Amino acid sequence: MLEIVDLTVAYGPVVALERVSFRVAEGSVMAVLGANGAGKTTLVRTISGLVRPRSGSIRFDQKEISRLAPEAIARLGIGHVPEGRGVLAELTVEENLRLGGLWRTDRADRGTALSEAYELFRPLAERRHLPAFTLSGGERQMLSIARALSARPRVLLLDEPSLGLASLVLIQIMARIKQLVQQRQLTVVLIEQNARSALSVADDAVVLSLGRVVAHDQARRLASEEGLRHAYLGF
Amino acid sequence: MQRFVVLTLNGLTEGSIYAAMALALVMIWRATRVVNFAQGAMAMFTTYLALFSLERGAPYWLAFVIALLCGFVLGAVVERVLVRPVESAPPLNVVILTLGLLLVLEALAPMLFGGQIRSFPSAFSIVGIRLGSLQVPFSSFDLFTLVSVLVLMALLLLLFQRTDLGLRMRAAAFNAEVSRLLGIRVGRMLTLGWALASLVGALAGLLIAPSLLLYPTYMDQVLVFGFTGAILGGLDSPPGAVIGGLSMGFALSYVGGYFGSDLETVGALVILIAVLMVRPRGLLAWRAQRVV
Amino acid sequence: MPAVVKGWRLLLTPTLSRHLGLALVAFILLLLLSSQIGAYDDYTLAAVAIFVIATAGLNLLTGVNGQLSLGHGALMAVGAYSTSLLLRGHDLPLILVLLLSLAGASLVGAVFGVAAARLRGPYLAGATLALAVGLPQIATRYSHVFGGEEGLTVPPPAAPSWLGADFPPERWMAWIAIAVALVTLVLLGNLLQSSVGRSFKAVRDHEAAAALAGINVARTQVVAFVVSSACAGLAGSLFAYWSGLTAPAGFGVALSLQLISAIVIGGLGSLSGAVWGSIVLVFVPNFTSGMASSLNLPSSVGNNLPLLIYGAVLVVAMLVVPYGIDGGLRRLLALARARWAGAATNHKGVVDWDDPAGS
Repeated sequence: MLEIVDLTVAYGPVVALERVSFRVAEGSVMAVLGANGAGKTTLVRTISGLVRPRSGSIRFDQKEISRLAPEAIARLGIGHVPEGRGVLAELTVEENLRLGGLWRTDRADRGTALSEAYELFRPLAERRHLPAFTLSGGERQMLSIARALSARPRVLLLDEPSLGLASLVLIQIMARIKQLVQQRQLTVVLIEQNARSALSVADDAVVLSLGRVVAHDQARRLASEEGLRHAYLGF
Repeated sequence: MQRFVVLTLNGLTEGSIYAAMALALVMIWRATRVVNFAQGAMAMFTTYLALFSLERGAPYWLAFVIALLCGFVLGAVVERVLVRPVESAPPLNVVILTLGLLLVLEALAPMLFGGQIRSFPSAFSIVGIRLGSLQVPFSSFDLFTLVSVLVLMALLLLLFQRTDLGLRMRAAAFNAEVSRLLGIRVGRMLTLGWALASLVGALAGLLIAPSLLLYPTYMDQVLVFGFTGAILGGLDSPPGAVIGGLSMGFALSYVGGYFGSDLETVGALVILIAVLMVRPRGLLAWRAQRVV
Repeated sequence: MPAVVKGWRLLLTPTLSRHLGLALVAFILLLLLSSQIGAYDDYTLAAVAIFVIATAGLNLLTGVNGQLSLGHGALMAVGAYSTSLLLRGHDLPLILVLLLSLAGASLVGAVFGVAAARLRGPYLAGATLALAVGLPQIATRYSHVFGGEEGLTVPPPAAPSWLGADFPPERWMAWIAIAVALVTLVLLGNLLQSSVGRSFKAVRDHEAAAALAGINVARTQVVAFVVSSACAGLAGSLFAYWSGLTAPAGFGVALSLQLISAIVIGGLGSLSGAVWGSIVLVFVPNFTSGMASSLNLPSSVGNNLPLLIYGAVLVVAMLVVPYGIDGGLRRLLALARARWAGAATNHKGVVDWDDPAGS
């Protein structure tokens, strides 16, 4: 589904990712773990085209996408919920949601996707005509995820969804996403610093440290490896 | 009292032109964080193109439309060819670039169309309208000026608030990176933003030309007053641009009328500084501040 | 006695002595150059020196401190009008006139700087642009004081008698301008190296961080505005002597925009950038108007060709050398140095691809 091969990314002389490789199966959740500065955000930004890799390749359905523009990658069905959520604060909740699937030609389904989003995240429905800056942190996270989902993506890149959220809200959001993975074969790449909660929802996980993959296994098995947990995951 | 009415009506007409200019500047500022100092010169150039068409026998309305379309195209070309490459350069560079473009256009116009001062026809009478026995100091052309600026603004409002395209353009202006992640072709939206803004500027150029007469630098002061109006209202707010532009029109008209026309710009300066002292980001800045 | 020597040692820091040495060498070279060229070229040289003073001050404000001013021409006007008014019916010594004009412009700059310290980016640009548009109109309005559109005349500075009776006044003007410009550059150079200069940069780079580091942001910005206005006043005063006439037309928006374009083309934030920019500012129009008149073009084309070329130079420069001439030269120098270093390590039998002969 999504395959990353020998990916190297550098900002000038600073190497952020070095020969990173892994693949994500369709309908599964892949957690990408690691400390601050390990290269997690760079990884998702490279997948969605915001950062150009120095070498290596990213394949989506066997198609090379690492040289495409971000808007083209989004249109292939890769949704990215950026760190800090990227809600357009000046626009209303509904405008934010509409933006998600605006490039799709199926107008009827755009309407359906909108009502589905409100069903999935009910608090948004009550505030649909308010500007997004009136939302709380949790609601913004919901909005950002709902917006990405309303494009009906096949892959969802989630960058630190737990940041600044109460754990109860986070559990609710992750439960919804898990539902979508099962129902629609959605594929998720979940970036997390909070390894414990990420491993509880993920099928597989990679651990990054200083831009390299230091572990890659099933989430269950990683969670039970004492040494790794102490060294990289901090619990 | 009668003098006050005359000055008010005069301020309203001129203010609508400054409002259009301010709106053009604000649209470009919001889309690309550029103050386009060449906006006035671009409008001057398209107005010359209208005059050129008129002299070749085109009817007034055709020349009018030609100028607006040329403004649209010119704006798109300037954004795509000149502004986009300096996007990542220090922010002052694009200021100098637009100043350079201003000089190029102001030099090119007399080369192509002749340097002498030309008169530009107006679509309607410029004599005051008669209401019964009373002649008001407000002509059909003044009315046309006001109405066409209002119509254009209403159309833009519809475009931005009610259409998918407008939503895309707003999103691209607010946050280019997030917009790209949502599949919006941001580059095209910015080009379109410049094109539309230049069309608005071109309209201002056409409407003020009959009263200012046409020469290569005739839009300079319109640009300065439009820019002042945009700053007054707050560069991030299109309604602010309209309010700021209209305020400039009234202020200049009153200052000129009561204190002498040679104090007009000093008056504008004083008003601008006074407003900025109280609200350093313009009158309608509350929204932008709240977001940041 | 030793205490005095020690005091001098303290004052004569390595930077200051280096700057003084450089300035002295430049002064001697420029005087020699000035003596070899004709009156018209001396006149041009003086213009470059005058613009160097103004652009160096502006570069300190805009390039180093990050405050954009589109109205520095108006501050030059304050200096020029001060000079013209002082010399009206009086014969004051040059140095006194220069200092008083400097003080006048500093005062206006201080008032405006206090207002400007609250404004940022395009808002500051708009306010300063309004200053450039508005201030010359005061001269027209109060024509009984400022001479209206015709302006005020200024007698040229008289060359001292020991230089000989036939010493060209243009050359004396050039010498004065060069001397003042070099003194200004030395003073500004030292200011930039001092803690004040560092606080200018800190405020430009990150206001909040500068404030946290204990820098009074607003005061720093006002100081930068005053220093910069002082330079503009000095340049304006010399400009009045140089042109012999102070009139509103000479201090329009165009002048302010020329100054800002000069520092961006020359290189933002450095004194050498100001020098390069002033050279471009004076020589490009000189060169192009000479070219236009020699080409025998129709007048509508010939008259506007210099403007067209100047505008095109601005546009192309921004596209090609985004960091100005100074930035471009530094880059070339760095490249050359890298080549040199590369060649030095490479010469053990490794062929340098750019220089296969290995010379």
